[in-house]
Amino acid sequence: MEERSKAIQDRIREKARELLLNKTVDLIIGFGEGSFPLRTTPRFIRDPEKTDRLIWNSFCENNLATYLHKFNKFKVGIVVKGCDARSVIALSLEKRFKPDQLFLMGVPCQRMVDRRKVKRAVKGEILRAFEQGDQIVVEGEEFKTILKRDDFFYPSCQVCIHRNPIQADVLVGDPVEESPLIEIHPEIQEFAKKSAEERWKYFEKESSRCIRCYACREACPMCYCAECFVDSSNPKWIEKSLSPSDLEFYHIVRAYHQTGRCTGCGACERACPMEIRLTYLTQKLNRDVKELFNYETGIDTKTLPPLSTYDMEDKQDFIK
Amino acid sequence: MTDQWEPKILAFLCNWCSYAGADLAGTARIQYPPNIRVIRVPCSGRINPLFILKALQSGIDGVLVSGCHPGDCHYLSGNYIGRRKSATLKRFLEYLGFEEGRVQFSWVSAAEGGKFSQVVGEVVQDIKKLGPAQRFVKKEAQGSQGSRVQVNSIKKLGPSNP
Amino acid sequence: MTLKLDKKDLKAFLETLMDEYDLFAPVQLAEGVSIYKKIDRPDDVDLSTSNPQKPAKEVFFPQSETMFRYEKAGKQQQMTSTEGVEKKRVILGARPCDIQAVSILDDVFLGKEYKDVYYGNKRNGTTLIGLACNHPLSTCFCPSAGGGPFLRKGSDIFLIDLGETFIVELLTEKGMTFQKNKFFKEANTKEISLAQEIEEKASKKADASVPIEGIDRRSDLMMESPFWDRMHEKCIGCGVCTFLCPTCHCFDIVDEALTNKGQRVRNWDSCLFPLYSQETSGHNPRPTGRERTRQRLMHKFNYFPKNFGRVACVGCGRCILYCPVNFDIRQAINLTSAKGIRKVKDQVDLTRR
Repeated sequence: MEERSKAIQDRIREKARELLLNKTVDLIIGFGEGSFPLRTTPRFIRDPEKTDRLIWNSFCENNLATYLHKFNKFKVGIVVKGCDARSVIALSLEKRFKPDQLFLMGVPCQRMVDRRKVKRAVKGEILRAFEQGDQIVVEGEEFKTILKRDDFFYPSCQVCIHRNPIQADVLVGDPVEESPLIEIHPEIQEFAKKSAEERWKYFEKESSRCIRCYACREACPMCYCAECFVDSSNPKWIEKSLSPSDLEFYHIVRAYHQTGRCTGCGACERACPMEIRLTYLTQKLNRDVKELFNYETGIDTKTLPPLSTYDMEDKQDFIK
Repeated sequence: MTDQWEPKILAFLCNWCSYAGADLAGTARIQYPPNIRVIRVPCSGRINPLFILKALQSGIDGVLVSGCHPGDCHYLSGNYIGRRKSATLKRFLEYLGFEEGRVQFSWVSAAEGGKFSQVVGEVVQDIKKLGPAQRFVKKEAQGSQGSRVQVNSIKKLGPSNP
Repeated sequence: MTLKLDKKDLKAFLETLMDEYDLFAPVQLAEGVSIYKKIDRPDDVDLSTSNPQKPAKEVFFPQSETMFRYEKAGKQQQMTSTEGVEKKRVILGARPCDIQAVSILDDVFLGKEYKDVYYGNKRNGTTLIGLACNHPLSTCFCPSAGGGPFLRKGSDIFLIDLGETFIVELLTEKGMTFQKNKFFKEANTKEISLAQEIEEKASKKADASVPIEGIDRRSDLMMESPFWDRMHEKCIGCGVCTFLCPTCHCFDIVDEALTNKGQRVRNWDSCLFPLYSQETSGHNPRPTGRERTRQRLMHKFNYFPKNFGRVACVGCGRCILYCPVNFDIRQAINLTSAKGIRKVKDQVDLTRR
């Protein structure tokens, strides 16, 4: 695995350098070394001589498409995984940038490793971590543990079936086989079986941890409203205090606004410092959209998102 | 207590069909339960899910959204767009744990005074079965720590550290 | 005489404590997620993890705090004050960094000129029971910020975890009132020397190399520096770092009103939110992430030292650990050093703003 990553990394650097030298793009958005183990960080490169700062490994967890809003006045070369590429397509459908403004360096993704899960698998602080074949080696002061990489994927990565970027100007790695590790997360499956009251209790418990830092919103490429409904003062939809009802309100609407727009990248959940399970909300929406309108976000570059259009034959058995 | 409890139901009625249908029910003196409060909206496609959630948060026991029949929309496709929103929202709320039936949808045309009264009757009955809304309702301010001192005049609340 | 408290007595000790005080301590909300919370059952207390996500400031300065309630009944207006505090408080298990941070907040809320009654009522009379930090993380840099994993300053009572037992140090008058507590026994020399050993080891481990010293002077001329042009790029503008920061103390006051009654609430706010500085006209003097990131760092390392004589950072490392995009405050501080400034100048092409 690490050889494959290394090859991808070399190709990214090479291509990034070429793009910057030819002035095809103004800057490259990719991943760089993070400041602690198991962490990478978004990196912005403008100097062709500095493209060796870009890296690729199983810890490239951020969805870089979220930065396209910040750099919408530039020509941008961006490193995209399967999910990032879908976000870019979904944003293109919403006309967030001009065609030809972007250069997508697509990486067929090996699924990303959940650093919190890794942290929990060992006792003591992890001071070094690296990949070795199909394993992750983590070392601390008094331990060295070898973990199986496959056991530590992010929940959203486990169910991912679009690891190969749907659309890319260049693919910097060999395509991978498309199959989910698990069809549907067992936790979510179990959740759906519970009674309404139990489901509500779970939702209540999860949302009660929220500190309203809005990291989920900011990390999401699809959350770009000029004024979010929580920030609106006229009309004032929602109060700003930590009352349970207001927290639930925020989470319901944040998720629901992703209906037919969510690519299931899991950036919201990864960003949450309180580790609230957020993808169980958006995954439900994605399943519903697939079932009702046979639509998957970011797969088709032409079809409008489901809530911006309609079909005369849409189901309406729930309407009196 | 439950005997006396009457549900409060908010009905969003589209201006062109359902609102006229309700009007017709009125002029034709067709009876329906008085539990609904009507808000007239231009079109069922105008319903922002936030309206529904805000209503539920404010302690409304049930919400009814009603618009023109498919094909009858004054704006041609408003109700089709609304239908998609309704379908996904309803499923999502029920997945989260809202009781089935708290939020309901109907098509009522301007000529269907009878149907309007029937729909309202059904909705009221459903909500009565569910009982008062508990989940998601914003309770009276959860007391912040500390004792509550009754202050009779506003003056006393001036700066405590002069 | 050095005292100790056996862990098997902890529960009983906490029970006696809870008779007299409102006890606040770290509580686990989910695996790996904890906050300081008022304790109802001693079993909930979780001292095993390092710093909880949310800092101890919440005990005195809650994220949402009702300032008063009002109601109109007929022609009468009635107001209910909510500033009072029923019982004195004890915070148990706060790490030295969080305790340092409380003293920083004291300067802000209980300064010479202004005294905040809401903060003061909760703070005054509170006993702080600190817990030594045996295993500083690699993201911790408390010694660089004038603290240390075993810094006792600010604690009334200081605990050192030896595994089966705690060494108890009574440091202040408030702490001394616990001297007669039946659960505190005398520690033997072996335990005392073990505590010293742990202290030495931990103190060596924490990072003292972050150049915070003199940063207020260094940053004086940085307001318009090209430094900020690149610094903010990866910041996505959420409030994780500010909300989880033990020293950040900005708030927003709003009225939450229904028809005839309501309450005035004070909520935490973050300088990284666009709404924080947006004016009624719609104009925003800090229009982009560049200005907002600058505000966050300059407030900590320039404005605050000017007003209060020390930086508003205790090196707890929460902002580093929980940042969704790995914005590392240590790197930002490093870049303000002379060497860093040269590096920034090389990097930033000024024509490309």
